[in-house]
Amino acid sequence: MFNQIGAVTMINLRSIPQRAGLSLATIISIALVTGVLLGFLAMSNGFRATLQGTGSESVAVMLRAGSQAELNSGLSSDQVRLIEEAPGIARDAEGAPLVSGELFVIVDGIKRSSQTEANLPLRGVGTQALALRDGFQMVEGRMFEPGTNELVVGAGVIREFSNFDLGETIRLGPNEWVIVGIFSTGGSVFDSEIWADIAVIQNLYNRGTGVQSIRARLTSPEAITELQAYEEGEPRLNLDVQSETDFFAGQAGGTAVLIEIIGWPLAIVMAIGALAGAWNTMYSSVDTRMREIATLRAIGFSGFAAAVGTMVESLVLAAIGGLVGAGATYLVFNGVSASTLGSGFTQVVFSFAVTGGSVLAGMIMAVIIGFFGGLVPAIRSAYVPLLTVHRSE
Amino acid sequence: MNDLTLIRKNLFRKKLRAILLTLSILIAFLIFGVLGAFYSVWSSGGALAADNRLITVNRINFTVSMPYAYWNRVAALDGVETVSHASWFGGYYQDPTQFVQTFAVDPETYLEAYAELTMPADQREAFLTTRDCLLVGADLAGQYGWSVGDTIPLLSNIWQKNDGSSSWEFNICAVFDAEDDKVPANYAMFHYDYYNEPLAFNQDQLGWLIINTTDPALNDQVARAVDEMFANSPAETETTTEAAFNEAFANQFGNIALILLFVVGSAFTTILIIVGFTMVTAINERTGEIAVMKTLGFPAPRIFRMVLSESVMLSLFGGLLGLGLAWLMIAAVAPVAAAFLPGLSLPPSVFWVGVGLSVLLGLLTGLVPAINAQRVKIVTALGKQ
Amino acid sequence: MTSLYTLTDLSKGYTRGKESITIFEELTMTIPEGDFMAIMGPSGSGKTTLLNLLGGIDRPTSGSVECQGVRVDKLSEGKLAKWRSQNVGFIFQFYNLMPTLTAAQNVELPLLLTGLSGKQRKERVATALDIVGLADRKGHRPRQLSGGQQQRVAIARAIVADPKVLLCDEPTGDLDRKSADEILETLQLLNKDLGKTIVMVTHDPSAARYARRELHLDKGRFVEQVQEPAQ
Repeated sequence: MFNQIGAVTMINLRSIPQRAGLSLATIISIALVTGVLLGFLAMSNGFRATLQGTGSESVAVMLRAGSQAELNSGLSSDQVRLIEEAPGIARDAEGAPLVSGELFVIVDGIKRSSQTEANLPLRGVGTQALALRDGFQMVEGRMFEPGTNELVVGAGVIREFSNFDLGETIRLGPNEWVIVGIFSTGGSVFDSEIWADIAVIQNLYNRGTGVQSIRARLTSPEAITELQAYEEGEPRLNLDVQSETDFFAGQAGGTAVLIEIIGWPLAIVMAIGALAGAWNTMYSSVDTRMREIATLRAIGFSGFAAAVGTMVESLVLAAIGGLVGAGATYLVFNGVSASTLGSGFTQVVFSFAVTGGSVLAGMIMAVIIGFFGGLVPAIRSAYVPLLTVHRSE
Repeated sequence: MNDLTLIRKNLFRKKLRAILLTLSILIAFLIFGVLGAFYSVWSSGGALAADNRLITVNRINFTVSMPYAYWNRVAALDGVETVSHASWFGGYYQDPTQFVQTFAVDPETYLEAYAELTMPADQREAFLTTRDCLLVGADLAGQYGWSVGDTIPLLSNIWQKNDGSSSWEFNICAVFDAEDDKVPANYAMFHYDYYNEPLAFNQDQLGWLIINTTDPALNDQVARAVDEMFANSPAETETTTEAAFNEAFANQFGNIALILLFVVGSAFTTILIIVGFTMVTAINERTGEIAVMKTLGFPAPRIFRMVLSESVMLSLFGGLLGLGLAWLMIAAVAPVAAAFLPGLSLPPSVFWVGVGLSVLLGLLTGLVPAINAQRVKIVTALGKQ
Repeated sequence: MTSLYTLTDLSKGYTRGKESITIFEELTMTIPEGDFMAIMGPSGSGKTTLLNLLGGIDRPTSGSVECQGVRVDKLSEGKLAKWRSQNVGFIFQFYNLMPTLTAAQNVELPLLLTGLSGKQRKERVATALDIVGLADRKGHRPRQLSGGQQQRVAIARAIVADPKVLLCDEPTGDLDRKSADEILETLQLLNKDLGKTIVMVTHDPSAARYARRELHLDKGRFVEQVQEPAQ
């Protein structure tokens, strides 16, 4: 039985070059469908990875109750002081609490891709801010001097926006700033930000001593419940307290899901088109081999073996197409930088990520196309009338 | 019988093959039609904008406010017909996930500036004179089942009142719509004073100004005059046409055009390849018949035309079916999508580009087989049989 | 009888690789109007090639093919196509009908090359099908017809545009005796009653007997010429 199937399959596969055109068409069309799907998945995975890579379990983010985003929030310096005294907050070697009150202003940057203005977050930070970002490092230049009009720029900003190169002077609203450093937090959301001294920003933007968010390092991830209980019991505080992981996970949802909601149906619709193409190819394949199949059947090969031979041919073409599509997507898209408006109403710079999971999804889709494309022709090849042997071509 | 009969008969000679090819062409044009409709709504912000309407925002960013006094100062400039202002309220209804796009505006000048917004005269009067009136867009009203006479609270995720509350109580006294479906009617507006007076912080600040110039030719001059007036102040401004402002905002989401081009391009490459190779194969199978036609005296150019027509007909057939299906799908989705994509429809321009593309596809896929058919050598082809 | 075709010093050969192969050389003959000629000979003797040259679907290496004052070998491709549609009817061994068209539509095909109206075409088709005795089969597709019937449709197609000459390449080669006789009788009838000049290639002596004369080709030469064979 297996000998039969093997023999018929080999005959099929060896005859592919005779139908090079149509077989190539099938491979390319399946490759393109896989490519489109993987392109969208790479986009959504990249965006998700950036936001999910940002959150730390042991950092608490506090915003004014109900404000949802840093942009909308507003807190007083008194509230910052209350949090510094709160339970569950970690302290540095000198015993100072690891709490960072931060200010958040949206400024305009010029997107390299479209040359139009887009929202960039300008974050005013104090010295403690660095202790609250794991993996923070200066890539180039140095940190700003407190009290000066110096800026440090995230690596993502440099990639996607014009005029932020090291040493340049840039005008944001009425104020001029000097870019003295480029920092990275390892591809997290903060790489899409611009940082300056909080006191300078409070002064320039008439914010008094107010801040918009408070970040605090917790003694342990579990300490967040202590902090939340403290906030509940303290009438002078009216905050939403959540872990940084939860904060960014909430922000990742919308955009990443939206990309997938568009990507999947599009890929499926295109897959139907490719399915029609594969079916067509396999039909031609059976058509041109009618006599050959009939001869094999006359000699004594089973209809089942003929069907399997056709099916394997279809699956092989589809799998090649899927691999070509995945490979091309990886080469073209993996690591490509892009930015979009995140739910914080500022640009989030991210890199397309072709992941193993999405390649697997693409391959499965390709094989499904191959299976359904080959199904009817395979059944047909099992029922080739034996008398076809005598048919003249 | 005529040439068309012959073409049609040849096309549907293998029914399954014809159906599969039509299906794959249909799908490419379905994708084209749906994405084209989506893109035309997406990018219509620029096209819908009145050509004499300017937007002035804080130069730092449009989310940063500017002093209330700017409103009157701009009104005094030459070439300015009306100036209105609006501020972002950041509203939600009952639950933060039920987001409601809401602006605090100067009612009279705002309705002058956006003359395309229509409502019954009595409702208009009610909005202008009722301090706590909420003027609601028809799509938004439909979404939440609101109607004139309802009293609803809206909460702000940005602003707070003196008393610490973030809730404003509104009386829905008017519902607006617009003639053109593409004009959004998915937001609400209310009196600036009603919002400003109880504010705990950021009082007497405006979000942005809307300037109608007396003549579009004066746009540049007015924009420059406005920005110069506030230069070197703590709140410098940036004035652009409404079209440019909308376009820049749309671009914030990324290069949607490029993504759509990539998708539509892939879909078309796919069918170009599938249909192209299949047509070559199909014509090769018919070499003998073509030789007979030639023997009967059919001239080569006529055979060339017939084969080319065959692929154009196939492509046009699949293309029209795909565009028709896209039209049906868009018509079905449009009411649901009105809240975030107002006026979603298949524009005639997209339809005709689609028709043009299907003819082009037909010519491209038919060219090689047509040349092959034209070149068939009678003696060789008949001898092969 | 006036002559329809005059062939002068007709040679035909082709090259396969470096080798040049001659099919026939310096053939000279005339075919009178109203003739019914059978060309016989073994495979490869050049029968079909001669027929192709007469029909203007192949060109000689040298020499001339003249038909009623027209140098067929000198016509351009376009003119040749037109000449064929007006002067020649072809009948093939395997009928060569269009599988997608009905019998009537197959017969109508050559009329698409004329300026006739739809109504006139319909009348002509009906007449042609009547002559071959297939008026009741006009809506059938080739696949629904027997071999003999298909060949009669092919004959109707060949005569529908009223050409002077019918060129038949093994018209009975794929048929049983009875059907073959019917086809040959039809050809004879067309020759006698309608005055069609017929040139028929065959290797079947009993088929050749229906012709007025036989021509034997062997190794590119006429070896025998028999006038007015007995019937």
